[in-house]
Amino acid sequence: MRITKKIKRVKNIKNSLSFKLSMVFVGIAGVLILSSMIFIFVIVNRERKEYAEREAENVLVTLSASIRSDIDYYRNVSRLIEYDSRVKEFLKAPSSEVMRSIQYSETARIGTQDYLNITEGVDSVFIFRKDLQFMTTLVNRSDYRFDYARQVQPDWLDPLIELKGGAFLSLNGNGVIHKSDGKTLLSISRAVYDNVSQKHTGYMFMNITSSFLEDEISQLRPDDICVLTTDGIYLAGNNELAKYLEGFNIAEDITHRNISVPGTKLMLSAIKLEGLPIVLLYAIREERHLLPMELLYVIILLPLIYFICVFLAGIFIRKNITSPVFELTSEINKNSKGDSLVRIEREFPKNEIGMIKDTYNNMVTHTQELWNRLLENEQTLQSSQMRVLQEQIKPHFLYNSLETIGYLAVDAGAEKVHSALETLGSFYRNFLSKGDREIPLKRELMIIKDYLSLQKLRYGDILNDEYDIAPDTEECLIPKLILQPLVENSIYHGIRMKGEKGTIKISSWLKDKELHITVRDTGIGMTDEQIEKVLSTEKTDNTDEDGISASGLGSSFGLWGTIERIRCYCNKDDVVKITSEPGEYTEVEIIINTDTKNWRTVNVQSNADR
Amino acid sequence: MYRVMLIDDEESARKLMRASINWEELDMEVVGEAASGIEAINVIDDMKPDIAFVDISMPFMNGIEFTELATKRYPNLIIIIMTAIDQFEYARKCVSLPVFEYMLKPIVRAEVTATLASAKAKLDAEHVKNEALPEPENTNKIEASTIDQIKMYIESNYTDSKLNLTSVAQYFGFSASYLSRKFKQETGKNFVEYLTECRMNAAMKLAAANIKMFKASDEVGIPDPNYFGRCFKKYAGISYSEYVSMKNLKD
Repeated sequence: MRITKKIKRVKNIKNSLSFKLSMVFVGIAGVLILSSMIFIFVIVNRERKEYAEREAENVLVTLSASIRSDIDYYRNVSRLIEYDSRVKEFLKAPSSEVMRSIQYSETARIGTQDYLNITEGVDSVFIFRKDLQFMTTLVNRSDYRFDYARQVQPDWLDPLIELKGGAFLSLNGNGVIHKSDGKTLLSISRAVYDNVSQKHTGYMFMNITSSFLEDEISQLRPDDICVLTTDGIYLAGNNELAKYLEGFNIAEDITHRNISVPGTKLMLSAIKLEGLPIVLLYAIREERHLLPMELLYVIILLPLIYFICVFLAGIFIRKNITSPVFELTSEINKNSKGDSLVRIEREFPKNEIGMIKDTYNNMVTHTQELWNRLLENEQTLQSSQMRVLQEQIKPHFLYNSLETIGYLAVDAGAEKVHSALETLGSFYRNFLSKGDREIPLKRELMIIKDYLSLQKLRYGDILNDEYDIAPDTEECLIPKLILQPLVENSIYHGIRMKGEKGTIKISSWLKDKELHITVRDTGIGMTDEQIEKVLSTEKTDNTDEDGISASGLGSSFGLWGTIERIRCYCNKDDVVKITSEPGEYTEVEIIINTDTKNWRTVNVQSNADR
Repeated sequence: MYRVMLIDDEESARKLMRASINWEELDMEVVGEAASGIEAINVIDDMKPDIAFVDISMPFMNGIEFTELATKRYPNLIIIIMTAIDQFEYARKCVSLPVFEYMLKPIVRAEVTATLASAKAKLDAEHVKNEALPEPENTNKIEASTIDQIKMYIESNYTDSKLNLTSVAQYFGFSASYLSRKFKQETGKNFVEYLTECRMNAAMKLAAANIKMFKASDEVGIPDPNYFGRCFKKYAGISYSEYVSMKNLKD
């Protein structure tokens, strides 16, 4: 009769919608973050490279411009020297005169010195006459070594002559003048012509040390810059970098090259100065590939924004889908616990969730209608059956008749008959007792005592009854007729089956507000299977509705039905314990909570009719 | 010795009570029986019971009505309800009345004995209390004229089925025993005899007029025709129906 709607709970959390949604969100967030990282990495790398190249370009262009202007300056100084009258005198004087006297060369040297006094960085000036007699003006006291083998080669001065007075930068006086300490000299080299007659009069080499390069570099980044000749000879800056020139395709445009060195990566940039045998090398270390701060913020912020978006989406879905579904489920679940179906009164948003609620409520209403119709039919049937039964019994007629017969017995001196009738009357009076569903324990015990004394009359001396009732349990209310069937069971399935005199003992006590009642008989006992069958919450198949057994084992239906009634009364299943030893005893213990006396409210109306 | 009265419409029930309870052991005796509430009202003043067993389902005046009346007129009377009908409605009414115990038939001797023992204890306690107090003297003296007034009152009110010695005594402000004594002194007749005489004379007139007994019994204030019949036969010597046929034959 009871409707139990079992709604399958989400047993495995992995199946729950919210869990799946969370997983999807985590996945989306992961993909978004990963893709943005790759994206940012590509952009940043590109940006970083361009940034580095731009920086290298700036440095190299600035540096080459400075060097070029320095060299132009030296070139102008050399022209001033060329046109100095004292130098011209030295060059125009006849060879013999010059050979004879050092006057010419001294005068020229003083003239040269005048210019060098106001010019820094010039190491020495060598002026050759056409007959290759020469004079020198030295700024620093240092030794020079002449490569005579080279000097006698006929093409030694050809590049100077070809330029017809133009200056070019050669190294070490076009390979002839070497400094003893091995430092490379940059030589402004030109052929000297008389400015009036335009006659070729000699050659001049103005040697500059690389210190002016050092000065230029020191204003930038001396550690990252190396100045070399096109032949790879070190001039200034970080000598460490000189070895990387190899492999560069030197051109007058800037070229870049990435190389790995132990510990870091270098981006090398090189440029050849136009018209000059000088190469500039610039190295940028990886760790110095500094990024603009804005990019860093973006890198940090983007995943954060993604995360917040996903989080907000999660909250939205939880608020609008997951939570309402959970609430709806818990509301529906309430119905699976109670015995009556209740409409969901709680408000849900008027969306798809609300539709589910409305549909469910419609279903509940419909089910209730069906249920009520069924209940009504059942009640009509039961109450009419009850009325027929009551008509048949008319207990007061029975009682009065028993009294009358009792008097007849007394009148005839049959005191035993009167006693038996009195017991029978008392038994039925308590047994029927006004249709109360709950009676005090002492009343139930009266029923049992009457019942047992009548049974003793029937079967003679087959049993003793003993009672151990705690005084504070006598008034405890118990469902009517729960002990009598147990005692009956003890007699018919326990003691009588054993064939010897037995004892039934009933005990009761209160413990932790729970009433314990035991019925113990010294009968044949029960096997574990029988106990299990009797205690099972499902009705066994071989007993029909009226409890008439189809097989031997089903004969415990009276016991099963009684246990089921106690379960109904206490509203829980573990209220009866059975211990037994086959051939020795059976003990049934009932535990009733005295605090709660809630019957499972099934068919209250029809039960009250009884 | 306490006096016990049994009021039950079933004779066997009354007899079983008499026979099955060991009254002497309880220091009690059964002084009388009544088969209905009406009969009980008429005889109770003669029997002066301390304890009354009252059945509920009785014709003409049920146990509840009788109890309501009796608790007013006999505040010291211990009333024990004894019924086969176990209905909540009855039990509820009895709870509102000062009923000593509500017992269910069929009787169990042990239960009845236990109830009687506690009733005895209560009576013993009251007895001790009453003995301590002096018997209240009647301040109102009954004079001959008063008796005449009472006689007139009876003659105009005998149709009231609930009329009896105690109700009249209460109406006039005397104690029942004093009135009973004075009445006999002044008129030479018992109060109950006098009341019955009034009713029977009226009944004879009705019988002469060929009125059916159940109607006549109702009109003269004894609505229980069984009891009325017994009273009539006792008074007239013949039964009401015989008297009717005799009277009507004569005419």
